[in-house]
Amino acid sequence: MKQEDLKTLLYDEIAKCNRCGFCLAHCPIYSVTGREWATPRGKNALVRAIIEGKIGWTPEIEDTLFRCTGCRLCTQTCFPAVETNQGVLAGRACLAEMKQYPKIVDRVSKALENNFNISDEPNEERIAWVEFLKDVPGHMYQKEKAKVLYFVGCVASFFPLVQKIPQAFVQILDKGEVDFSTLGGEEWCCGFPLIQMGMPDKMEKLIDHNQEKVEQLGAETVVFACPSCYHTWKEKYKINAEMLHSTQFMERLINEGKIKFKKGFNKTVTYHDPCDLGRNSKVFDPPRDILKAIPGLQLIEMANNRQLCICCGGGGDLEMIDPELSAAIAERKIQEIKDTGAEVVVTSCQQCIRTISGYARKKEIDLKVMDITEVVLEAMG
Amino acid sequence: MEREKLIEESIKIVGKENVLSSETDLLLYGYDASLFRGKPDCIVLPGSTEEVSKIVKFAHEAGIHVLGRGSGTNLSGGTIPTQGGIIIHFSRMNKILEIDIENQRAVVEPGVFTLALKNALARYGYVYQPDPASEKVSTFGGNFGENSGGPHCLKYGVTTNHILGAEVVLSNGEVVQVGGKSLDNPGYDLTGLLVGSEGTLGIATKLILRIMPKPEAVKTMLAIYNSLEDAGKTVSAIIGDGIVPATLEMLDKLTIKAVEESIHAGFPLDAEAVLIIELDGLKDGMERLAERIMEICKKNNVREVKAAKNEAERMQLWAGRKGAFGAIARLRPNYLVCDGTVPRTKLPEVLAKVMEVGRKYELSIANVFHAGDGNLHPLILFDERNEEELRKVHLAGSEIMKLCADAGGTISGEHGIGTEKKKEMLFVFTPQDIRAMEKVKRAFDPEDLYNPGKVLPEVEA
Repeated sequence: MKQEDLKTLLYDEIAKCNRCGFCLAHCPIYSVTGREWATPRGKNALVRAIIEGKIGWTPEIEDTLFRCTGCRLCTQTCFPAVETNQGVLAGRACLAEMKQYPKIVDRVSKALENNFNISDEPNEERIAWVEFLKDVPGHMYQKEKAKVLYFVGCVASFFPLVQKIPQAFVQILDKGEVDFSTLGGEEWCCGFPLIQMGMPDKMEKLIDHNQEKVEQLGAETVVFACPSCYHTWKEKYKINAEMLHSTQFMERLINEGKIKFKKGFNKTVTYHDPCDLGRNSKVFDPPRDILKAIPGLQLIEMANNRQLCICCGGGGDLEMIDPELSAAIAERKIQEIKDTGAEVVVTSCQQCIRTISGYARKKEIDLKVMDITEVVLEAMG
Repeated sequence: MEREKLIEESIKIVGKENVLSSETDLLLYGYDASLFRGKPDCIVLPGSTEEVSKIVKFAHEAGIHVLGRGSGTNLSGGTIPTQGGIIIHFSRMNKILEIDIENQRAVVEPGVFTLALKNALARYGYVYQPDPASEKVSTFGGNFGENSGGPHCLKYGVTTNHILGAEVVLSNGEVVQVGGKSLDNPGYDLTGLLVGSEGTLGIATKLILRIMPKPEAVKTMLAIYNSLEDAGKTVSAIIGDGIVPATLEMLDKLTIKAVEESIHAGFPLDAEAVLIIELDGLKDGMERLAERIMEICKKNNVREVKAAKNEAERMQLWAGRKGAFGAIARLRPNYLVCDGTVPRTKLPEVLAKVMEVGRKYELSIANVFHAGDGNLHPLILFDERNEEELRKVHLAGSEIMKLCADAGGTISGEHGIGTEKKKEMLFVFTPQDIRAMEKVKRAFDPEDLYNPGKVLPEVEA
């Protein structure tokens, strides 16, 4: 993006910021850094100063703009609802144009170009998690035609810690007798990381490919266990099929009597709303309705929940860009989880699981973190 | 002193990671919530009183200006470094040091958010009473500097009535204790002098606060009016009847519209004004008091009085009031909050004149204010990118302050004088009065290093 476009697109939006500073109370980055550069107000001020020609693209602006989790809690709690994250992403797009960004950005964008996934591994490996499952049908979840497409997403496909999500979800779908398929090695990254890295233009190829695959499969529904894939598809893709998050789809299966909880789940749990599912896609009730339908499970809400849920620290590719900062945010999140006294924290996002349990493991904190698909599978018995 | 040397010395005191000096950082610490801008030479984030003292001592020896800053929510430009210097940002000194329920005291560092203490007190059934609209992010250091008010200050008094003592770093770096934990301290009331001195006399590094048990019962009512004048008359009539509610807030039509568009607090869009009347205290007798208030509202042509049925409804009404300033930003990009006070009986008359000022300068004005205190907050709406409009806004703001002063009121209710209203000080004080204040400033800060260029206008000796 060119600087002139920044002005056309965002000057009026950013000018709504009156610098009242109320966002400082909520921004996870400011909460752990205590520096003005971290604040949404500061980010608005910098984008504005750039637009007005009062400051150039300093290295500090790059650092600042690449340190935003995209959680949008600032916009949620801002009375004029300034879309700070849009300014941040547009700023990143300007920086990308000038090749001024953290090194990791190049690595990820090359991986997407070469292998269509963020891990830069051969894309056929996407389905490697299937090998650990018992009783896998002959088609290995790669059918030619299916009513439902399960779009797995890069992180859940390649990162061992969270492969348990697709492993659990396909078992639930099997038990629910759903006619579904994955795209296997033909699934390409949804493009979310490119938006975050300021290169939305490069998404087109990925979008076209994935859209075409939906059509070839003849899918009527596309389901995502990853909130960021879900949000990206909802915002950027144009398909005839309906798009649902796994929690919405599972809620439907429960209502249709296709998911039955024979075993239940005798534990107290708290639920963490992933930013891209909750605040950014407004899916708050389906996960809670699922948890409430499970016999024995007792749900305790965190102090900040639903629209006000605080990011785990893993949003907006922050874990890739600044793992220390991401960990500091996770530390606070874990404290809030611990304060509920719940035995298990349940979420519905592989990135939240990675950030929260990654930190807990490193610091040897006793904390059980589960994806909602795992809880459902266990409760089904 | 050269800037490089200044940065180098600061780093020696607080460490490299706690000194900010890039061009970007200087821009970021050049604003607050007011319309003013400045540029510091560097920003320092100390972790202890000792570090603050060292910084100030060094600045004193080198003749460098020093300015304290919390969340930068100041509305009068009090945190703007108009003459450069060091900004001490207190975000690292954000610990609640002590909560002493039996003695009803709390001790906090200056960077603690007001609401963070309230949340910590809630589980003991206690409360810190002052409630600035920005309380979720305003810091105690800022409350101290500005003598912050808030809706509940009608009944409980402003910040100065709740700060009993402080540890203060003087402009030469010396650390002194003013006041203490008792209600009446021997010697001069330096706490009273320092609270509201806008960082020009001393910088607080520890504050002793008065906390109170939460009232047994709260009743919140929304009174809806078809005329602003009737709402104004109701305010005078309630107070005149000897009733002091916990809050008595007024919002006019334009504010109602903005609030409803942003958060749906439940204010009717066709009303000319609403009052938020809150009672708190003992349960016994509260209903009777509420009935008396409703009677007074009816006598003054109220359209309807609604009582919040539960805590959620109450919170919703307050969310509307506390978010009013920000919500105004939905109507135009920017606003100037005028902060003036008039005798309650003059409210309807002054309000009418305020609206005339708006018409004269062709500016929209929204009104949201602490009516019980006679504390007006006309919000002048504009787009600061339009220079001509900005010029008119400053003129209109000053004219509104003149109206308040002429009506027997004053030019600040709670936001301070800062950079914004220095010359308006002469609307309410004579040059002799100002010179008396100058003597105090010189006694505390003879070199004029603490937040220079604020509060006091220049008057001839």
